[in-house]
Amino acid sequence: MEYAILFLPLIGSIIGYFGKSITKFFSEITTSLFVSISAILSIAVFWNGIEKNNYNNYIIFEWISSGDFIANWSINIDPLSSVMLVVVTFVSALVHIYSIGYMSHDPHKPRFMSYLSLFTFSMLALVVSDNFLQLFFGWEGVGLCSYLLIGFWYKKESANNAAIKAFVVNRIGDFGLAVAIFLIFFYFGSINFNEVFQAAPQFMDKKISIFNYEANLITFICLFLFIGAMGKSAQFLLHTWLPDAMEGPTPVSALIHAATMVTAGVFLVVRCSPLFEYSQAALNVVTIVGMITALFAASVALVQNDIKKIVAYSTCSQLGYMFFAAGVGAYHVAIFHLFTHAFFKALLFLGSGSVIHAFNDEQDIRNMGGVRKRLPYTYILMLIGTLALTGFPFLSGFYSKDAIIEFAYFKNSSLGNYAAFVGIFTAFLTAIYSWRLFFKTFHGPYNNKNIPINETHESPLVMLIPLFLLGIGAVFAGIIFKEIFIGHHSKDFWQNSIFFLNEIKHDHIPLWLLLITPILVVIAIPLSFYYFISNTKILEEFKNTNLPLYNFLLNKWYIDELYELIFVRPIKKIGYFFWKTGDQGIIDKFGPDGISKIIKMISNKAGQFQTGYIYDYAFVMLIGLSILLTYLILH
Amino acid sequence: MIEIGLGHYLSLGAIIFFLGIIGIFLNRKNVIVILMSIELILLAVNINLISFSIFSGDLVGQIFTMLILTVAAAEAAIGLAIIVIYYRNKGSIRVEDIHGMKG
Amino acid sequence: MLAHSIFFYFFSIIAIFSSLMVITSRSTVNSVFFLILDFISVGCLFIMVGAEFLGMIILIVYVGAVAVLFLFVVMMLNVAEQKQSWFIGKRSTHIPSGLIVSIIILLELLVVVGGWKYKEDLMSSSTLSISKISNTHQLGSVMYTDYILYFQLAGVILLLAMIGAILLTFRQRSGVKKQSYITQISREPSTSIEMKEVEFNKGVKIDD
Repeated sequence: MEYAILFLPLIGSIIGYFGKSITKFFSEITTSLFVSISAILSIAVFWNGIEKNNYNNYIIFEWISSGDFIANWSINIDPLSSVMLVVVTFVSALVHIYSIGYMSHDPHKPRFMSYLSLFTFSMLALVVSDNFLQLFFGWEGVGLCSYLLIGFWYKKESANNAAIKAFVVNRIGDFGLAVAIFLIFFYFGSINFNEVFQAAPQFMDKKISIFNYEANLITFICLFLFIGAMGKSAQFLLHTWLPDAMEGPTPVSALIHAATMVTAGVFLVVRCSPLFEYSQAALNVVTIVGMITALFAASVALVQNDIKKIVAYSTCSQLGYMFFAAGVGAYHVAIFHLFTHAFFKALLFLGSGSVIHAFNDEQDIRNMGGVRKRLPYTYILMLIGTLALTGFPFLSGFYSKDAIIEFAYFKNSSLGNYAAFVGIFTAFLTAIYSWRLFFKTFHGPYNNKNIPINETHESPLVMLIPLFLLGIGAVFAGIIFKEIFIGHHSKDFWQNSIFFLNEIKHDHIPLWLLLITPILVVIAIPLSFYYFISNTKILEEFKNTNLPLYNFLLNKWYIDELYELIFVRPIKKIGYFFWKTGDQGIIDKFGPDGISKIIKMISNKAGQFQTGYIYDYAFVMLIGLSILLTYLILH
Repeated sequence: MIEIGLGHYLSLGAIIFFLGIIGIFLNRKNVIVILMSIELILLAVNINLISFSIFSGDLVGQIFTMLILTVAAAEAAIGLAIIVIYYRNKGSIRVEDIHGMKG
Repeated sequence: MLAHSIFFYFFSIIAIFSSLMVITSRSTVNSVFFLILDFISVGCLFIMVGAEFLGMIILIVYVGAVAVLFLFVVMMLNVAEQKQSWFIGKRSTHIPSGLIVSIIILLELLVVVGGWKYKEDLMSSSTLSISKISNTHQLGSVMYTDYILYFQLAGVILLLAMIGAILLTFRQRSGVKKQSYITQISREPSTSIEMKEVEFNKGVKIDD
């Protein structure tokens, strides 16, 4: 059964690629069917795990066995991976079904569906691995599929650039991950999770020196692992690819950049929790970066005008939350937030896809508005998604986000308190921009200049059903799974997959902490309605008086420009130099071009000997004769 | 210098030989001069042989000279026949015009 | 010995001078004439030295046959009118290097000559000529006995040269009537004679 979960998407991907030649809807139906079967099976596995404690490691075959280096292809089902299986396959299946409707006008559908299934397979391989090498394989696989899918409309130059940017920035993260794996193998002698995690306590105080800088080994490893996670999950400094990745079709954004690939980083950190727990410095770094990311992304999302970019920054911000939950040691809360976030973020993305579809591919929210009567189902489902995202009481986001803030507070360190405060403030900002998005899209005057309001239409059923299912998840996933994931007996559920060095006590929550976030969130609703819809003048004046701040936020804190200045231009210059002078000037000159030129030159000169005149030939003979004579005389 | 020895005859032969050789490739006129230069070279060889024959009293030199004479005559005949044919076909025997083997 | 040296220098200077003129004279006919002069002077030199048979042969064969052959070809091919000089022309930059190389060869030859010492006990063959028989007689007695094969070979070479020259330059001229003796000899009376009955006073009509 587990084999089916892993390999059905792969088979679907391969078959789906060639689907165009068979029948019209063949590729969509096959791929969606296979991934849906995978989703149902993974729910079954998850249920099995909870009920019967049925966790196992199924080794498929031994991939590499060279000395101490042993790596297997395996399907490792344990609590952590079974949760991830459910998330990945469920969202992926729904996105497949949604794409049948969304991409119905696209001529390259089979390729799209095939790539989606390939991505699912890579992500599953990542999640069920039992060693770092298979994880790295999955890691690279999802990076590749992200590139393929972002640049799906390859005739658009901006899409190509965005795909390359995503791949390159990911690569930087991958480099960090690779260095971490090298360090692990070098010092621990193995790359299997079990062996590494069991050996971790022995290396707790080991110090190594890299470039004459001495530090704790575990800290180094965790830092490099975190760099890998930063790249994949678009944390601050390596986040620049995420907004540009919105060039891909909306289902891609929903699947990859909301629910699955970007969560691979969180998964990595949680999976390596036995390592991270021994390095307080690395955990602090994780917390700080997570906080900065959450705040940064929320501040930028306040002023963006593209609907997908707002949701993308929202993803970035929520990932920051997950990381700082992991950083304060609450790994189970991070996974819980990942779980709920997948539902409502995918819901939001697919919903905005529906809105874009209704407005005939218009993505700027300033050109929308007032369509809540025309698109009733989308309206309700987006409402549910937004409520869940902001953490409205009793929906799923409320449980997970507030749990993060509580656990940060309970860590009882200054960093923890600071993190909790940032978390609350960011939750407020999240609420504001989410409601801004919602109100500007569905309320207020109708601002679209291209299409009259009568032509905006609701999406077809095939697109609405996934939204509906996700909506159910967004509402109920929190309540149902709260006890299992983060309740008092959550240790029984997680068993060995997550490791806690010191259990965090969370029994007595002060009342003010419990109430402050929900109150802020609820206040934000009328506030944003007032400022964004009813009385936009105040905001206009505010913007005009603070134009530098506005521009700073609008241009994403100018980080892209900074990177361009520091990295891109010098590297381009170096590359150009190497190409022109190094490659063409030196290697080609002494290699093929040079040798062919020399040969041509020599043969030209040699050809000039054959003048055709007899006396020239006789002259040459004479020269030869004289040389011979000279040699004989002198000898 | 008054006493003529073998060396003088050999030097004479060398000088005529040298003149024949430079005649082959320093002429700009026509091919017949080349043939005449070849005759000069053979003549120089004959001088050498005869002088050695006389000075060592051996008759073999003179016999060999006769044979060389024969060959020179035969070769002059054939060479001139070839020149005649070439002139028939190409119309000119100026040295500058004979570069059919160019390349 | 004075006469010997005077004659030697006289003939050798004429020989060198005329060979120089062979290669540098402007008109080809003059070159041929100078070649003849060269041959004559060298022939006289040979007679002076004592190989009178060879000297005469050079006069007869070289001058009488080879040089005349040259003259024939020069006249036939109309090259007498070419009057180009050495140093004008496209490729006269060639000449200094050629001269240098040739002078090197000359010097080397002279070095060889100067360094070689004549050995009195060089050869001890059976063909020493000490007797008072004339040179011709001596040559004959050696050539037709010891070197008969080379003599025959020389004859064959001459035959080949003759055949080769004829073969090269022979061309069929069209429109020339020739006799074919084979057809003449193999004529039958039945094909060539026709008996006719001639009537009195009528005559025969002959159609040709």
